[in-house]
Amino acid sequence: MKGPAALEGTTRARLGAFGFLTDTTLCIGCKACEVACKQWNQLPMDDFGFTGMSYDNTGDLGATTWRHVAFIERISDREGRRPTTLAPFQSNWLMLSDVCKHCVHAGCMEACPTGAIIRTEFDTVVIQQDICNGCGYCVPACPFGVPALSPLDGKAHKCTLCYDRLKDGLEPACAKACPTDAIQFGPVHALMDRARARVSELRTQGVEARIYGDQALGGTGGIGGLNAFFILTAPPEVYNLPAKPELPQRRVLPAFLTTALAALALGIATLFSFRRVGRMQHG
Amino acid sequence: MAELRSWRHRRAPGEPIGAATRESYYGLPVIHGPHWHWPIVFYFLLGGLAGGSAVLAAAARLLGGRSARPVVRAGRYLAFLAILPGPLLLIVDLGRPERFHHMLRVIKLRSPMSLGVWGLIAFSLSAFLNALRQAVDDGFFGRSHRLVRGFQQLPDRALAIASTVPAFFLAGYTGVLLGATAVPLWARNALLLGPLFLCSALSSAAATLSLLLTRRSQNDRAEQALAQVEFLALTGEVALLEAVHRKSGPVIGRPLRHGAEGRAFAGARATTAAALALHGLALLLPRRWRQRLELPASILALAGAFLLRATMVFGGHRSADDPAATFALTRSDE
Amino acid sequence: MPGLGARLGRGGATTTLASLAESDCIVIMGSNMAENHPVGFRFVVEARRRGATVIHVDPRFSRTSALADLYVPIRPGSDLVFLGALVNYVVNHERWQTDPFFREYVLHYTNASVIVSADFRDTEDLAGLFSGYRAEQRRYDSASWHYAAQIHRVEGERWPCRPLVEPERDLTLQHPNCAFQLVKRHFARYTPELVEEVCGVPRELFLRVAETILANSGRERTTAFCYAVAWTQHTIGTQIISCCALLQLLLGNIGRPGGGILALRGHATIQGSTDIPTLFDLLPGYLKMPRAIPEHATLASYFASERPATGLWYDMPKFLISLLKAWYGDAATPENDFGYTFLPKIGGDYSFQSILTMMEDGIIKGLFVMGMNPAVGGQNARLARRALANLDWLVVRDVHEIETASFWYDAPEVRNGEVRSQDIRTEVFFLPAAIAAEKDGTFTNTHRLVQWHDKAIDPPADARSEAHFVYHLGRRLKELYADDDSPAGQQIRALTWDYPTTGPHQEPELMAIAREISGYRVADGRPIAGFHELADDGSTACGCWIYAGIVTPEGEHRAKRRQGDDRASLDWGFAWPANRRILYNRASADPQGRPWSERKKWIWWDPEQGRWVGYDVPDFPATKPPDYQPTPGAKGLDAHPGTAPFIMMLDGRGWLFVPHGLVDGPLPTHYEPWESPVPNLLYSTQPRSPVAPAFLRPDNPYHEIADPRYPYVITTYRLTEHHTAGGMSRWVPWLAELQPAGFVEISPELARELGIATGDWVVVETARGSTEARALVTERVQPLTIAGRTVHVIGMPWHFGFGGLATGGIANELAALIEDPNSLIHEAKSFTCTIRKGRLPEGKAP
Repeated sequence: MKGPAALEGTTRARLGAFGFLTDTTLCIGCKACEVACKQWNQLPMDDFGFTGMSYDNTGDLGATTWRHVAFIERISDREGRRPTTLAPFQSNWLMLSDVCKHCVHAGCMEACPTGAIIRTEFDTVVIQQDICNGCGYCVPACPFGVPALSPLDGKAHKCTLCYDRLKDGLEPACAKACPTDAIQFGPVHALMDRARARVSELRTQGVEARIYGDQALGGTGGIGGLNAFFILTAPPEVYNLPAKPELPQRRVLPAFLTTALAALALGIATLFSFRRVGRMQHG
Repeated sequence: MAELRSWRHRRAPGEPIGAATRESYYGLPVIHGPHWHWPIVFYFLLGGLAGGSAVLAAAARLLGGRSARPVVRAGRYLAFLAILPGPLLLIVDLGRPERFHHMLRVIKLRSPMSLGVWGLIAFSLSAFLNALRQAVDDGFFGRSHRLVRGFQQLPDRALAIASTVPAFFLAGYTGVLLGATAVPLWARNALLLGPLFLCSALSSAAATLSLLLTRRSQNDRAEQALAQVEFLALTGEVALLEAVHRKSGPVIGRPLRHGAEGRAFAGARATTAAALALHGLALLLPRRWRQRLELPASILALAGAFLLRATMVFGGHRSADDPAATFALTRSDE
Repeated sequence: MPGLGARLGRGGATTTLASLAESDCIVIMGSNMAENHPVGFRFVVEARRRGATVIHVDPRFSRTSALADLYVPIRPGSDLVFLGALVNYVVNHERWQTDPFFREYVLHYTNASVIVSADFRDTEDLAGLFSGYRAEQRRYDSASWHYAAQIHRVEGERWPCRPLVEPERDLTLQHPNCAFQLVKRHFARYTPELVEEVCGVPRELFLRVAETILANSGRERTTAFCYAVAWTQHTIGTQIISCCALLQLLLGNIGRPGGGILALRGHATIQGSTDIPTLFDLLPGYLKMPRAIPEHATLASYFASERPATGLWYDMPKFLISLLKAWYGDAATPENDFGYTFLPKIGGDYSFQSILTMMEDGIIKGLFVMGMNPAVGGQNARLARRALANLDWLVVRDVHEIETASFWYDAPEVRNGEVRSQDIRTEVFFLPAAIAAEKDGTFTNTHRLVQWHDKAIDPPADARSEAHFVYHLGRRLKELYADDDSPAGQQIRALTWDYPTTGPHQEPELMAIAREISGYRVADGRPIAGFHELADDGSTACGCWIYAGIVTPEGEHRAKRRQGDDRASLDWGFAWPANRRILYNRASADPQGRPWSERKKWIWWDPEQGRWVGYDVPDFPATKPPDYQPTPGAKGLDAHPGTAPFIMMLDGRGWLFVPHGLVDGPLPTHYEPWESPVPNLLYSTQPRSPVAPAFLRPDNPYHEIADPRYPYVITTYRLTEHHTAGGMSRWVPWLAELQPAGFVEISPELARELGIATGDWVVVETARGSTEARALVTERVQPLTIAGRTVHVIGMPWHFGFGGLATGGIANELAALIEDPNSLIHEAKSFTCTIRKGRLPEGKAP
């Protein structure tokens, strides 16, 4: 079995898969991505109110928020001193534009019992709104907490990677709006090559950069990689991302097997109990 | 998301906002939890009851002989009646109930919910047929009608055998369904929940049937069989509850140890353990004491089954909302 | 604007945003560029990717600081000490003194060698004042600042002009009164130690910044400065900006790729709104608005007073008369000074803050407010609302019902009963306005680039564009005054107002207006190609000479072009003047006309073609060779040698020392903000600007210096998510939810002292008013050590008001009316306040 280092920068994305590289080292936290997404998809304002969570008043991805910029202030060092010399590219105030990961093997899609969630010709994951009946199973099945049920229409929603725009040859709204090209859209393999080069360039400048969404980090446990992946400069937990998530459906077969074993044991026990009854009757 | 805006999480005066991101992202959940509430708790309970009853009815039919006929009858009717509200509960729980039939568009082997829908249909059909056969045998439809006689031709044994697979499936698949998610409490215990629900299904079904048949008991032996099944199932249940408690650990198992769900879980463990103890005691005592103990034991077993389902569902909410639990589940080596 | 104009010749960004990508060092100071110019900031990011060093000097660690290499926390209002110390560092540095590049650049391209009048006294001589101060009038007589020069009257001109000035020079730069030595002496006390005392910046950190800047200046490397209103909005704002110009001249960065000064302007088209101005004291193209003084009584006397004999402004009559022909058409004849008599003459300070006081005093009866929100967006907002309540009539045109339109029933003072709606006699007209996507037009962005935007959709219902409103208002006024012979009536009647209209709502055709701005020959209407074709005899008309030629003779609007490239992108839009992208780009070549280096070549002299060639349009006469020497008595641009890049200036040089043009001094000097917790450590007897216009009124009380009741420094600023006074963002759900409430940023140290936690309500108070907001306790704000004591800084975004979805306390209720003496801009970036945990009492006057 390959150790994690060998899996860095690799993905099992299919050839022809399209996705995002969100490079947090270029992000200026402007939230143009959030606004462009809401405007293109005509999503309503939600969860209105001051949170005091740095500049993040959005909080989380949800049924009507498909891009969410997270802010983490790490201004002082371990001794509580504020630095003036900063490691380059955003080390002291981290900003991440979170989005659906469009997993190579997607927990939401495998969970969906109606077949509403499909993989498109761009290898993105989309919830067909005319089929979803709001069972809500995709919601806890996502290791990253992306889809959610909307109280407005009872159905599950998440980023579509602007499927409608892709079909017309346009890039997704968030990638178009991003002023610093922190959000880059393109073929996943090309983006992964670019990310590897960028990470290695950043590391020579002393930035603890890493890819999140390759098979070593984020795209682990049977997920196989994230078509929408990231460059981070801190451990994933800092950004509220799970480091080594697992595709939940990997447990289905083993769990059915243990259940079947239990069924066997209980079945035998039950038969045994009633057998004595039957026998005793005759005895 | 009321938590976001809740000033209950008031920070200490003078504490910089960066401090709230040291352990987690402002205490916000990493994943999204399920929306399931009481309807699903009752579906789990009733489904387990129905599946367990069908298993008991089948076993009684196959091996129990005439003295076990009351068990067969009660078991078949209970299996059917218990599962009747099931689909309704599930449909009502949907965000778009009028689209429930979309579940029938596909069958996905890796989705416990997809399999569950089809399994529920299979079980409902088999429970219906079994109950119908029983009703025919019991003369509810009269004895002379042509259809009645036709139904009496239905292979009773075969029906009983055929019902076991959907019955076991129904009783245990919900545990697999919970485990195939990212909810830490469920995911960590994915291999244990199916067996646990299965044991609980069987013990609660046996308990219910015991309670239903107590008065009529000339059939000490059938009752004894039920009690024995209950005892064996409870043994498994107690052992698996302990296993879940240990496997979860203090972080992922937080809902099992604190708060309302913690109390419910403690209650589930206590009631099942007490039921087990009572049954065990009853085995050692003479007959007239047995009944006195087995009655409260069955009630306790039922209570335990209910508390278990409630704990698991609502504990899942807590677990999903706890970022520390998700990180414990998915930690890297950094 | 005057800050850059006075030293370099034009009040605008000297370079382009795209050129930042070629910088080796970018200093962002007085600006939060990533948050307020996010799209422009992509070039800073690109520069960073190519290895540039990015330095951010700011009181708060903001989203700009997050991407910088060096973050320098500084006390608001102390920027001039920092910049002056950089000047001092540079001129005393061995490398600067020995590297021939700096010598050549400074000697040839600046007025370093000019000798100043012997009567001149510096602030170092007079304890904080320059010579010529008139205390009773609080102004300077600048006679003693002028050059020691030969003055020659100019005769025989069609239009009069000022005398020719022939300064004495010392090319060795040793004369004690030469500009260079005066600069050196003036800044001698601006040491790293002073920076630490006054700015709160540790001296090692200052020295690192200084070393980095100097190391990245020279033949092979250039440094750029980016600034915004955190420099402008001070009582010494013009001088802060001007000090940067001085520094960049000394460093040889002006006019070079990756160098220069990027003045980051605050709106999509605010550059355009000073080019074709909505400012009371400017005519289009930065011509001075005539005043009601004898010197401006006639056109001839105006030119005698304003028109220099040398430099491009020598052509002022061509620009002004062409403008008058555009405005007054046939009514402008040689007999009536081409309609100069119709031009209103200003009688005083009619800037925004003065207008408010005139409204409150009943002098101004009616007001049009278009795309502005003074009830929230300007200083002393409570005074502003009282002023609005004192008008007879008020017309508000906006996209949403902003506070300026709704104050009469919704303002805090109305809600709590202090003021009753029925007592407000203002008649308020609220007219719906179209937004940018609903109308054609151009934006002129922060680097003078004019870009056309197309109408995407018709405005809904009764919403109309500004062009529609102003055109039809003018048309109706002309009808009203058709038979009126009074002077006022004649002014209206004389205006040309014959734009064709189109569509069901009779929208004026914008291309017709564009053609008028671009210029044409009066006789046959033929478009002119550029401002060099303008005439001073009434044969040409041009609405704005710096935009001359923006519409090609073939009728194409150059602002519509969209061909970009990796250099100057000359075919993307149109940059005034004449599509020159980097201003003063003659300085990108050495005095002999060769590029300073291969790496930093931009334009250069081609001897074979006999013209300047390169990547940009030369900001210089195209065929003037580098070795050109003017004949004595030459005028206009002919008076400048071939080594004079600053063509708008009298002598073609960038001015280190400014003999005239700035009313508060020829050299930048640090004074404390009008309200400050500490005294002026440089000049203890002159804490504040001696000439800043103050509004001494009971409803505009000031705090004393080091007033113990208001010990904290407060600075106000913008967020990316909102736009100015919120009229275009607080009502928009997608923006409102991003920053849904007003807040105050305070340091954990101060929060601990006052027992404040994030999310608590706090009240911020000054002598002008109190306002409440949520607290955000963050380490991005820090206390500073100033002259040995701790000074706390708090920060408050000023977007919020009582209307719309995202509401909050109005920060501008805290600020006082106070102006920079040159620009008349308010001081919003540094004043004092107090803060406490709690809320405003319910139902009582705030």
